[in-house]
Amino acid sequence: MKMAAAACEKRRPAPNPAAGPVRTGAGAEAPGRALEGAAEFLRQAGVTAMVREALLKVLEARPEEPVAFLADYFEKLVLSSPEAADGGGDPRGQPQRLARALWYVRLAHHSHRTAFNNNISMAYECLGASGRRKKPGVNGRIYSELLRRICQDSEAPQEVTSPLLQRIQCRDHEAVPFDVFRYGVLTCFVLLEFVAKADTLYDVLDDGSGVADKRVCQAVLGTLEEALGASDFSVPIRYLEAGSKLGPDCLAVAMDRALLERKLSTSMKREEFLKKAAVLFIAKVKPVD
Amino acid sequence: MLSAERFSLPGPEYLAQRHVLTYMEDAVSQLLENREDISQYGIARFFTEYFNSVRQGTHILFREFSFVQATPHNRTSYLRTFWRCFRTVGKNGDLLTAKDYHCLLQLLCPDFPMELTQKAARIVLMDDAMDCLMSFSDFLFAFQIQFYYSEFLESVAAIYQDLLDGKNPNTVIVPTSSSGQHRSRQASSECSPLDGVEASLFYQCLETLLDRSKYSCPPSALVKEVLSSVQRLTFYGFLMALAKHHGINRAVGALPDKGDLLLDPPMDQELEKLVAQVSGLSISTPASSSGEPANLPSRNSPRKPLHHRRKVDTESDISTEETDSSEN
Repeated sequence: MKMAAAACEKRRPAPNPAAGPVRTGAGAEAPGRALEGAAEFLRQAGVTAMVREALLKVLEARPEEPVAFLADYFEKLVLSSPEAADGGGDPRGQPQRLARALWYVRLAHHSHRTAFNNNISMAYECLGASGRRKKPGVNGRIYSELLRRICQDSEAPQEVTSPLLQRIQCRDHEAVPFDVFRYGVLTCFVLLEFVAKADTLYDVLDDGSGVADKRVCQAVLGTLEEALGASDFSVPIRYLEAGSKLGPDCLAVAMDRALLERKLSTSMKREEFLKKAAVLFIAKVKPVD
Repeated sequence: MLSAERFSLPGPEYLAQRHVLTYMEDAVSQLLENREDISQYGIARFFTEYFNSVRQGTHILFREFSFVQATPHNRTSYLRTFWRCFRTVGKNGDLLTAKDYHCLLQLLCPDFPMELTQKAARIVLMDDAMDCLMSFSDFLFAFQIQFYYSEFLESVAAIYQDLLDGKNPNTVIVPTSSSGQHRSRQASSECSPLDGVEASLFYQCLETLLDRSKYSCPPSALVKEVLSSVQRLTFYGFLMALAKHHGINRAVGALPDKGDLLLDPPMDQELEKLVAQVSGLSISTPASSSGEPANLPSRNSPRKPLHHRRKVDTESDISTEETDSSEN
């Protein structure tokens, strides 16, 4: 990453010559001096720093559509610039800070742990800074609001996510330390991904018909529970155990058994399946005091 | 398709693959060009607008050719813009020559090279009678192949020529533009429509090219499909088949399917409104309005088609296939 940044750095002051008549000023200027002037201008105006920061963000997040990513990124910069954000204390400031924090935490996928952690600390700072007053820090109210918004904007139904929110919310006037903040945000994202996976799992189970057989669903959920039930996840070997329990053969055996003993075929709705799967996950989430 | 791969690439390669630096550099040089206005406007806002216009594909308007062809996204943006601006030419059923189309292309990109337009015209006209009239859609789809897959076609021309000469080009040499051009000329002047090369052999040679080329190539399955439907084919026969292939059109992603090429109801409404405003005299649109070109006063490009009058008698035999699909 450093290399890339350095490469850009080297190239940036000399703009693409193909891009037409770049030099302003009089034609009498020597080209070398004009370039130097341009580089100087870019440094002084803060363009160099801004571009470097933007490219670092792109490299961290590796978006599928970098152009769209950059458009959003710069737009957020405009919105959060001093004129826009410093405006009038809380009433206008807070929704904007919240929007910005939301944007930060979504910049990188949580599996990119370093980038994700960076962005979370940016979000934390941004929520904690309140206009001109001294830093009040992040309180429980705005933290919970952020988590609610993260869940709200996803596909997951509210009844699936609200048990998690109850578990990791803080009281409105509590100060939220960074560790808790990070834990909460990360847990939300992992749950959302879990729910999305469960959703595709249901697609497989219902075989396109829209309703899945209840027994098969229960067999799958049961296997999942058993795998997760291996309890203590601080020991690495547990992950392997859980993984093997969810391997295709184990799962297939369970599903097969369920199909064999099928008597009266009832169905399980998608919402119910998601909810039950989410409950298994949420049971593993350590509650925040 | 590249979704997971991008995380494993080294940073510089990721940036190059997505042309991030091309746009960033261009943005900065644009900013330098307008540095007087920037101070009051704000740098971040400038970048926002720049990248938004790249996202929407309006960034190539009136830009120099070297930029317009710099990335696949720029090429599709240019193709789409060309289509949207001059769709009415096709709708009115006007037939134009390569020169006329070139003028239209230059309205959007002042230094657009004539060479590319001519090559596209060669595809439509199968390298024959270069001053002939062409329908909008014939030209557009041929132009799309020529412009979007430019580098690929250069290499194809070289391979084709080698095959004609009896050489089996096991090693693919990517020719420079001048040699490619030279070869394709040669190829065209020598082969009569009856000969050409054997399709299966041709495909074998193209396969390595498709695998290795760092430029945009048509999907190899579709190339295979095109080549497996015939025994032998000529260079221009091959290009024509590519140009007419729906799957390849979709792979490029710039233009709608041929049937929908002339349909764009929102744009029609916009245009009608504009025309009504401009002319001031209310045209009798409301009742029998939107889809019919006949109702609309001629309002295509500022350049009136030169051959309007000849249109009627030449229409049937000139265009290589259908000329207008306005009824579907």
